[in-house]
This record gives sequence, C-alpha cells and structure tokens, in this order.
Amino acid sequence: MWLKRLKNAAYPDFLLGDWVVLVASLVVVLLLFKILWSHQQANRLEVRQGSKILGVYDLNQARSLSVAGPLGVSEIVIQHGKARFKHSPCANQYCVHQGWLKTVGQVAICLPNHISLELLGEKKPYDSLNY
Amino acid sequence: MRGLILFFFGLLLMSCSRVEPIYHMQSFVFGTMVDISIYGESEEDAQAISNDIIRQFQDLHNRLHAWRPSEITVLNHAFRSGKVPVRIAPDIADIIADATELSIKSKGAFNPAIGALINEWGFQQDEFKPVKVNQQRIAQLVKANPQMVDIVVDDGKVFSTNPSVQLDLGGYAKGYALDQALLILRKQGVSNALINIGGNIIALGKHGDQPWRVGIQHPRKPNAIATLDLPSGWAIGTSGDYQRYFELKGVRYCHIINPATGYPVQGVQSVTVLIPPQPNAGVLSDVTSKPIFIAQPEARASVARQIGIQDYLVIENDNRILASASMAQRLTWLDKQAQQHVVEAP
Repeated sequence: MWLKRLKNAAYPDFLLGDWVVLVASLVVVLLLFKILWSHQQANRLEVRQGSKILGVYDLNQARSLSVAGPLGVSEIVIQHGKARFKHSPCANQYCVHQGWLKTVGQVAICLPNHISLELLGEKKPYDSLNY
Repeated sequence: MRGLILFFFGLLLMSCSRVEPIYHMQSFVFGTMVDISIYGESEEDAQAISNDIIRQFQDLHNRLHAWRPSEITVLNHAFRSGKVPVRIAPDIADIIADATELSIKSKGAFNPAIGALINEWGFQQDEFKPVKVNQQRIAQLVKANPQMVDIVVDDGKVFSTNPSVQLDLGGYAKGYALDQALLILRKQGVSNALINIGGNIIALGKHGDQPWRVGIQHPRKPNAIATLDLPSGWAIGTSGDYQRYFELKGVRYCHIINPATGYPVQGVQSVTVLIPPQPNAGVLSDVTSKPIFIAQPEARASVARQIGIQDYLVIENDNRILASASMAQRLTWLDKQAQQHVVEAP
C-alpha cells in the first residue's frame, strides 16, 4: 500500500494516531475552506440612507440598528450572519416582509423611508439586481 | 523555507490589496432607487458624472410627475377642460410621439393615457393603501376609451380630442431616463458603466474583463432567481406584481392595470425582457414587459413576437416559468428549485 510505503520511508516514527490526526485536520481544513471560502457567503451588511452609506457592519456580531429616514426610525437587526428590517414606519411594510437576508448581493429597500440594506461578501454573484 | 513563507504571504497580501477601479452610487429618484456603477474612471470623475446623471433624473422626474405639479399635470388639466392647445417642450413632444407609436404597436396594452384609472386604483400616490374601487366608475373610465392617438401635437402645441386622456408616464419615464443616462456617459467619454433605475438596467462596456452581470429578483423570495450577462448597450426590465401592490381580503392588486378591463392584472408574478442595443433600448426595456404581462398566458409568446421581443422570462402565479429559447440560453439559475419549473416558450 502506498500509504504504508510513504509512512515507512518518510515518517518512520508516525503512529496510527498521528495519521488519524493528520487526515482529520485535512478534512476539517477542506470543510472550512468550502464553508468560508464560498462566494455566496455574506459577511458584512451595508446600510444606506439616501445616497449616504451609514455604515458597514459585521454580520457575525449580533446588534440592532436604528436608522432615521424621512418617515421616522427604521429598525434593523443583525443576527447569526443574517440581517433584516424589523420595524419600519412605512405603510406597506414591504421591507419588513422581505425577511432575512443571507447571501451576498441580497437587497432590502424601504423606498418610502429611503433606507436600503445590502449584503456584502468576497465576491458578488452579480453587479446589480433587476426587479 | 523562510523565503517560501514570505512569498506566500506576499501572494496573500496582493490578493487583499487589489482594489477595483469601480465607483458606486445610490440615490432615490422616480420614487425608487437609482444605482450607478462606473468602472475604470477616477473617483472624482465618476462622482461628478454620477451627480450630473442624478441631477438630470431628478429634473426629468419633476417634469414628468403624474400627480405632483409638473409639465404633465398641466397637460392633463388642459386635456380635461377641453381642446385648448398648450405649448409643450420639444422633448416632451418627442416623448408623447414615441409613447403613442409604442402604444399602437402593442395594440393598446401599453397605454400611458389611462392616468385616471391608475389614480382610481390609488397608485398615483407615494404611499398607497388598499382601495375598494367603485366598479361603475372603473367601467366608465374604460368606456371613455382614452388613447394616445387622441393626443394631437401640432407646432409645439398639444391638445386632446378625448377629455378622458390623462397621461401617466410611470411605465416609460424610467426607461427614457436610462437612455438619457447612456447619452451622458458616452458624451463624457465613459466607456464602462451600469445604470439601474428601480430594477430597469442598461449596460455600457464591461466590468473589467468580464461583462456586467445582473441578478433577476425572485418575485416571492428575497433573493435572485437567476443571473445573466448584460453585454454593452443591452437593457433589461421587469414588470412585477411584487414592487407596487396592495392586498385586500387576501387578493393582491398590483399597479399594472389592463387598459381593456380597467382592473389590475392577476395570475402572473413577473415578466422580464431583454433588449439588444438600439437608441431607445432603455425605453423598450420599460415598455415592452407590460403587454406580455397583461396578455393571457397562452398569448404571451405571440404578443412578444408582435412587439418584437426575443428574450423574455415569465413567472406565472402557479410557479410555472416560461422562457423564450434565446433567454433560456442566457440564464444561469441560482434557484435550482425554480429551474425545474422552466418551460420553453413556443
């Protein structure tokens, strides 16, 4: 077996446990790579009010934001890598009904209150959204 | 060994420090969000040009507004009160002529003369609420048969032969603004930009060495259903029942009203069209989705042919998805579940 030959030739001192640890770490690294390096994974939330960027927030840090717009204060929550409008002073509540945003490029806009949310990450799957 | 580690750290740093020469701006105009991306220009230039575009949009918005005092509301007032000719700006005369031609071509399915109907349904407001309409009033407004051809433009003056004509360019203005934006960008020597007005998008050049890529919003979920590359000069537009609508007793009433019945269209969630480069690509991306949206499901393909649309995507209420053959080839599906419901258009 090639593994045995390799073991005897290069790592004569390795025990079975060493190999288990080595292989297990390799699997963990590959898994982490797949999860964290995925282009879809969003890691930041950009909040805009009108044409101003109010801030960019880490999605892994739970917090709630109160943002004042022309109609009043909109509340935004960040939790477990997701973000959403929680309360809004607008009539139709489309922004609240949008629910949780999770992947890069997802957008929620409160048109009446001029506030928009967009999830950012390493690579956006698209440049702009047609709706 | 140390050299090797340094080399890899170097690579890592290089990958972090690669800043793209892309400028991004958002603003609220036309009652919606305007999103401008400019690639390959200095930040100062890109900012100045974007500001210029936004100013022009704001100006157009103010002039074409259907319910706040504007050049259009002045016209509508004159139309209501009889055949008194009103002087209009040359570009507004051009807009009316172009919209009339498109209305004829769509056999009246695109009809910007039905402002009174749109108002009756409560959609001529910044924030609309559920409206219980007066059925008789709707029937009257349909019977009055306001048409773009009732408008007579002569020697810079305009009047209507039908007092029920009330202009509402809500399904035209954003597309027109896209075409204007492209003119400004080209005049300023910008070769790469992407302009998005409330979901209607036009592309110029590329995003670096890649074409601009747009996502198509899922009409019922907060994510994109598919993506496609938008080559230079192409425009994309969607009519949907999910951006402007209200619900009354569990029924959804969207802002797209069938001029033939006077009632909001039901049974379809969205229609997306793709327009190849031409001087009014933006206008066509705004206008041509409406007749397909309004058509009966079995007539969508023939209506698309009639108005010269090759690339379109329809998401029906029963989740069936209709894609023209050429559109299907362009799409990259993100929503695999939706992809299984795709049917190719005849």
